[in-house]
Amino acid sequence: MGSSRACVSIIDDDALVLRSLDRLLQSRGFEVHTYSSPQAFLAQRDGDIPGCIVMDLSMPGLGGLELQQALARAADRRPVVFISGRSSVEASVRAMKAGAVDFLTKPFDEADLVAAVLAALEKDRASREGLAERATINLRLSSLTPRERDVLGRVVAGKLNKQIAAELGTAEKTVKVHRARMMRKMQFDSLAELVRAWTVTQPPPPAPPQA
Amino acid sequence: MDSHSASSASATPGLTQWGWGSGPLAGWAAPALFVALGYYLAARVGFAFTLQPYPISTLWPPNALLLAALLLAPTRAWWWLLAAALPAHLLVQLESGVPVAMVLGWYVSNCSEALIGAGLVRAFVPWPLRLDSLRNAGIFLFCGAFVGPLLSSFLDAALVSLIGWGERGYWDLVATRIFSNTLAALTVAPLILTWASVDVSRLRAAPLARYAEGAVLFTGLLATCMVVFDLPQIDPHTAPALFYAPLPFLVWAALRFGPAGTAGAIAAVVVATIFGTVNGLGPFAGSTPQETALEMQLFLSAVAVPMLLLAVVLDERGRVELDAREQRMQLTHLSRVAMLGELSGGIAHELNQPLTAILSNAQAAQHLIANKSADPEILVEILRDIIAADQRAGEVIRRLRTLFKRGETQFQRLDANELVDEVLGIVHGDLMTRSVEVVPEFASALLMVHGDRVELEQVMLNLVINACDAMAGIAPEQRRLTIRTRSIEVEDGAVQISFGDCGTGFTPEQYAKLFEPFYTTKPRGLGLGLSISRAIIRAHHGRLWGSSIPGKGASFHMVLPALSTRGGSAVR
Repeated sequence: MGSSRACVSIIDDDALVLRSLDRLLQSRGFEVHTYSSPQAFLAQRDGDIPGCIVMDLSMPGLGGLELQQALARAADRRPVVFISGRSSVEASVRAMKAGAVDFLTKPFDEADLVAAVLAALEKDRASREGLAERATINLRLSSLTPRERDVLGRVVAGKLNKQIAAELGTAEKTVKVHRARMMRKMQFDSLAELVRAWTVTQPPPPAPPQA
Repeated sequence: MDSHSASSASATPGLTQWGWGSGPLAGWAAPALFVALGYYLAARVGFAFTLQPYPISTLWPPNALLLAALLLAPTRAWWWLLAAALPAHLLVQLESGVPVAMVLGWYVSNCSEALIGAGLVRAFVPWPLRLDSLRNAGIFLFCGAFVGPLLSSFLDAALVSLIGWGERGYWDLVATRIFSNTLAALTVAPLILTWASVDVSRLRAAPLARYAEGAVLFTGLLATCMVVFDLPQIDPHTAPALFYAPLPFLVWAALRFGPAGTAGAIAAVVVATIFGTVNGLGPFAGSTPQETALEMQLFLSAVAVPMLLLAVVLDERGRVELDAREQRMQLTHLSRVAMLGELSGGIAHELNQPLTAILSNAQAAQHLIANKSADPEILVEILRDIIAADQRAGEVIRRLRTLFKRGETQFQRLDANELVDEVLGIVHGDLMTRSVEVVPEFASALLMVHGDRVELEQVMLNLVINACDAMAGIAPEQRRLTIRTRSIEVEDGAVQISFGDCGTGFTPEQYAKLFEPFYTTKPRGLGLGLSISRAIIRAHHGRLWGSSIPGKGASFHMVLPALSTRGGSAVR
């Protein structure tokens, strides 16, 4: 598959189901790890490995929804695909609200499972890429001097050099020098690229409270 | 049977053996033939039972036969049946050399007796009449066997006097007719009515032992009657005691063979008594014919009425009990099905698991084969898993089918631990989806009980579901259901199975109502579970009760008498 080392973690307490899903996804070329209980998964999980989680909704001890919350608390952002032998609207709504990629009702067709897994892996890849980009930009931002940072903030806000110079109490010429140095450090050629990178690094607006 | 029989025919098998079609040609021929033939034969019997030398018949069955025929037929067919009796009447009476006017007069009075009796009965009991309740039997006896003969006897005697046949006085004639006709109505009509409504298929299904019992009863009855009523030279001092000799057999018939058997037994006693008496034998012989006939008729009527009523009452009570049992069984079954409905989500889960495994395994194998990367060993494993999953699904279906089935209670030796395991298998999916953890504390010893598997599983299922419902409000990781089986040391031993939840429990006020029907604390509950469960456990000679620490949980305990584990068969 495209994401070479991405791995699908399957959690199901039913050994027969677990083995069958293992075989099915492997036969479709996925890298698969299986866990027979949420506890086993929590003990062995490695959030740094890219991939996604396919798990049963109802398992003894720790249910799928509780495991999903535990992963969120542990900042394990791997996307989750739920599979359930019992379609409950309430449970599926809760799962989707908590960020699940898909909710499949057993018995499901392999096409649906594969589509859900691919979507989950893509989501994981995208979020990991976004994460990496943010890290790079943050690194570059940290190399700016305070004055360069002041200029950057005002440039992104759409202000002209003249305005910036007035606000900072300095000459327009000096602003031009700071601005050129800042653009070089940030490794951007255009204002548009700078603005996009800047918005990526900003913390998202506070999320609405979730159920 | 006619093809377009009346709609009620199917509801009352046996009673309406003839299809009462729309007109005389459609299905009315057979009843008419039956009435004509029966009337003729009955008249010949009546003649045979005439005391000589005076022409006083002690039993005149043709009228009773007409009465029974009218009661069995819808009112619109009555004229037809009465008309059918006319040729038979003419034939049999003209053979005996009676003037035509008298013959016709008797036809009128005979028909009037049947019409009065049947008309009165019909006024109170709609067609078809069945002698299956005290009310129906009472109405029949009063209207058909008393009022009908009484009223028609006046007419009969008046006609005889008017036509001037014979030389006996009016009141003498009335008295003779009343008793002769009453006795016939008491014995012949119930015989026909009860036997016409006998369910032939049930008769055929009866075990051989029943037939043997019936044969013994009737042989004994006939032999007793012949000894008592058909032998000469009875000591007058022992005569009253001898009258009672057939009674045990009649009671036997009433207890064991219902109204039909009793009517048959009464008929046998009547025939044997009259046979002896008209031949000058038995305890009634020796007086004047009038006195003899009257004594005998009173005796037979006095025997027939209470015996018939006793049989009807016993039959009615038995049927009511049977109905109640049938109803209880239906209710038990219904509540079981309702409970399985509640479980359906969990059951779907139980079936979906193996189905998922089968589908995914098969699709994996497809890919492996298509990619030519199929390792035979892996394929063997896949097939093994598919078979295992299929068997598991089959097991789920098997368990369900047993519970859905509706059948007679079947008591057998059962292992209490195995029962609990089976129940946990059924609710496995539900326990899972409700995050309930089961803590089994099973006795290691074999705990054998005697009971109906399905009903005991129903009780346990009910207790498990109740426990799960009770824990719906607490945190999922705290939902624990403890199931304990143990043997308790009481006289003869007992097995206790307890289900303990850690829900909110119940208060003493709630407990007082817990086992009442239609009391429920669940939003969608019927409130029948515990009351039916307790009824089931009582029928198993056991006990079902609950205990609770409010706020900490509730426990329900069922105790059943233990069976010896050493393979003994103390209870069969």
